[in-house]
Amino acid sequence: MASKLIFVLALAALAIMVVLPLGWLFYTSLQIPDAAQLSFANYVEAFTKSIYLGPIGNSLIVATCVATIAVAVGTPLAWLLARTDVPGRGALRALIVAAFVTPSFLGAQAWMLLAAPNSGWLNKIWVALTHAEHGPLNIYSLAGAIFVMALYNIPYTFTFVYGALELMPAEMENAASILGARSLRRTLSITLPLALPAIIAGFIMSFLEALAEFGTPAFLLIPARQQVVTTQLYLFFQFPQRIELAAAYAMPLILVTALLLFLQRRLIGRRRFTMIGTKGERRRLTPLGRWRWAALGAALIPSLVAVFLPYTALLLTSLSRAWGLGPVPGNLTFYWYRWALVDNATTQSAIVHSFTYGFAAATIALAIAVTIAFAVTRKLVPAGELLTFICMAPFVVPGIILAIGFYSAYSHKPLLLYGTAWILIIAFATRFLPIAYSNMTSALQTLSVDLENAARTLGAGRVRSLFTVTVPLLRSAMLSGWLLVFIPALRELSCAIFLFTPRTAVMTTVIFDFSDAGNFEAVATMGILIMAITLAIVGVSYRLLGRSLVEQPA
Amino acid sequence: MPQASRGRFLTIAGGAVAGLAIPGIVDGAPQAPSESEVAKLYAGAKKEGLVSWSVAHYPQETAEKVRDAFKAKYPGVDVEFVRQTAQVIYQRLSQDLKANVHQLDVFCSTDEAHYVELKKLNALAQFVPVDRNMIPTQFRILDPDGYYQLGTLALVLVNYNPSKLQPAKRWQQLSDPRFKGQITFGHPAFSGYVGNWVVAMNDKYGWDYFRSIAPNQPKINRSIYDTVTDIIGGERTIGAGPDSLSLEKKAAGNRIDVYYPDDDTILVTAPIAVMREAPHPNAARLFENFFYSREYSQVLAKTYNFPLRADVPSANGASLDKIRWTRVKVDRLLTGIPEVVAKWRETFGV
Repeated sequence: MASKLIFVLALAALAIMVVLPLGWLFYTSLQIPDAAQLSFANYVEAFTKSIYLGPIGNSLIVATCVATIAVAVGTPLAWLLARTDVPGRGALRALIVAAFVTPSFLGAQAWMLLAAPNSGWLNKIWVALTHAEHGPLNIYSLAGAIFVMALYNIPYTFTFVYGALELMPAEMENAASILGARSLRRTLSITLPLALPAIIAGFIMSFLEALAEFGTPAFLLIPARQQVVTTQLYLFFQFPQRIELAAAYAMPLILVTALLLFLQRRLIGRRRFTMIGTKGERRRLTPLGRWRWAALGAALIPSLVAVFLPYTALLLTSLSRAWGLGPVPGNLTFYWYRWALVDNATTQSAIVHSFTYGFAAATIALAIAVTIAFAVTRKLVPAGELLTFICMAPFVVPGIILAIGFYSAYSHKPLLLYGTAWILIIAFATRFLPIAYSNMTSALQTLSVDLENAARTLGAGRVRSLFTVTVPLLRSAMLSGWLLVFIPALRELSCAIFLFTPRTAVMTTVIFDFSDAGNFEAVATMGILIMAITLAIVGVSYRLLGRSLVEQPA
Repeated sequence: MPQASRGRFLTIAGGAVAGLAIPGIVDGAPQAPSESEVAKLYAGAKKEGLVSWSVAHYPQETAEKVRDAFKAKYPGVDVEFVRQTAQVIYQRLSQDLKANVHQLDVFCSTDEAHYVELKKLNALAQFVPVDRNMIPTQFRILDPDGYYQLGTLALVLVNYNPSKLQPAKRWQQLSDPRFKGQITFGHPAFSGYVGNWVVAMNDKYGWDYFRSIAPNQPKINRSIYDTVTDIIGGERTIGAGPDSLSLEKKAAGNRIDVYYPDDDTILVTAPIAVMREAPHPNAARLFENFFYSREYSQVLAKTYNFPLRADVPSANGASLDKIRWTRVKVDRLLTGIPEVVAKWRETFGV
């Protein structure tokens, strides 16, 4: 009885979180303001005007380049760290985690300080050294936006490929070397093909992230006089508001995403390798010999540009009374930290909101993920495939579009959530539900049912055995699943920017609001605060879990 | 006057029903509150504890100074505010109103057309501040029905880095090739000040004016205040910018100055209004009333804005009587801003 109740509640939550908003999104796309009947007129307008087609082209260019760079850098990086004796592997991995948890719009702000064509610090240094007329970098360009987004997408490919390389049994590579294959041949004919599904997954992940990104294009591409799909969607929300047109315009983004994920399944499905034998032989790390230090240098470059330089720029700016004066003694101050933490009611409440909403969202997403994943993996309910599909569906919906769906569905009765904290909490929970769900599913699949069956034999009900046997065994997977929702919720911007109201502003929306009118110091300070909090949580979780969040459980 | 007293009575009765002390509207025309009514507003505001304010009029730090001056005058009433460009705060407000969500008390946009739209939607409350007669006659009445009042007077002019170049003396000169790669603008789809300026230029010189500037590759930002950042940070050297922040930064020792163009500075009358469904109705009115106080004008003067009140001198002796200015009328803004936003997109790509 209790088990049915819990399950029904989870189903209802899924309907509210996924089915209704997406349904409303589609319905809205067919609506014509002040007209009764539905039509495809919005689609015609969205996809025939050249002014709206340009951004689609730009988005595709940006996403393709970002994914290509991320894979081209992330794959060798993963190989270096997983398979060679490059020094400082632990520290390098920690730096990649730091890049992983950095929202790319913060990176964009930092790179504005570093590489604005005339005032960027790196360009100024270049001009001072070479007496050239101009510095070589221009962050306000498509290339600049691609660069920044690629930096923060490298960790995806890295994580996937690193995981694949770690799990790959050593026998096959060892067999190849016994048969006389040298290192390069072995890598190209055995290791890389085995890692290919992970590489493809990394490519698709970065492609989708870049397609859906709103903050970085808003910061870098407006001055570049370029428009992408997400900034165009933002403009549809400006007066005179065209939410119906926005909904229609969003549809292909969802289709492209769905298509890519489908292709990924097909590709990987066909290339599923059966690897016989498990962790038997120990793998020897490839000795790099005299190339060790050169390899370390190369492996440090992505972290240098994604972590060291940006954080230095943000930190110095946050400690400056006025960033334009540069980091000189008289300009150093804690003013902005005092401002953010003590003097400013808006920033204070935003910090509290970010935490509480993230906490609630992670808890909700995890509860639903555990319930549904348990029911599906234990085959307790019919239509498991459909349930999995619904839980994973938000993955194909970029945040900004999910926000349009949420606004359409919940800005009126019977479920008026807009204006309350709940719309943000539920939107965050929905956006990151797929992460929690896939995490829980894989954890449950590795868990033998014998213990649960033993509990049932001893007379425990389904719910009791879930809570006394399964949940305790899943503790560590649940904690990491929870964190994998909490951390992205903390840095979520593209959904929040459309759903917050004066009373529910969060740190990211406050950062966005400070990002124009040249409040670089305020942005940098809030950015440093958000990252300090995030990295502290990552550190604590590392101690609790005994491993890094981006590594797969062994 | 029996009618007046009936008006008073209705107000008091209405106020009593709602538990508020909201000053009078007599036969449709609003009246400024009396001193005792202001005291009642303050008492009510203290109970509400808070006023929620959206503001595009000035940069973050000026808004903080306004907040602090208000809190100093009225302890016990906190001010929560968001500073963003006019079109963004208006978009958020319309989104809220569509959903019938009422969390904002006071709305300060720089696009007067917003108030015409909001008035049509019956979203604003009538309110006349005490001391409205302390401001120059020509700006005293923006809306005869009293749904919105003047909140700030601001100028759009040429701001530039005096150590790098001579300014454009007329707006028309911005198409001069010597400014290639030097210019910085805000965006009319974000900033209300920029919207006012673009409409003014369009109406004066035609859209060809902007087409002729396009080859100079201006950097397009969102806010008008971004031009100041660009100039003092060394990213660009000349812009169509605000008087206030440019002068404030100049006074602080930055390399920036302003030029009042010979073919007219653009004057923007940026309004303030109380929302009809304000969740803190007393605090909202008290806050709008504060805009006509000496303290508010002193904050404006300190931050190089024009003080609204005639009895507070401006920071640099600037006076509207000595400047050649034009102002875009609200009827024109209503159609003009959407029109130029579309053209801007065609010419500048964003």
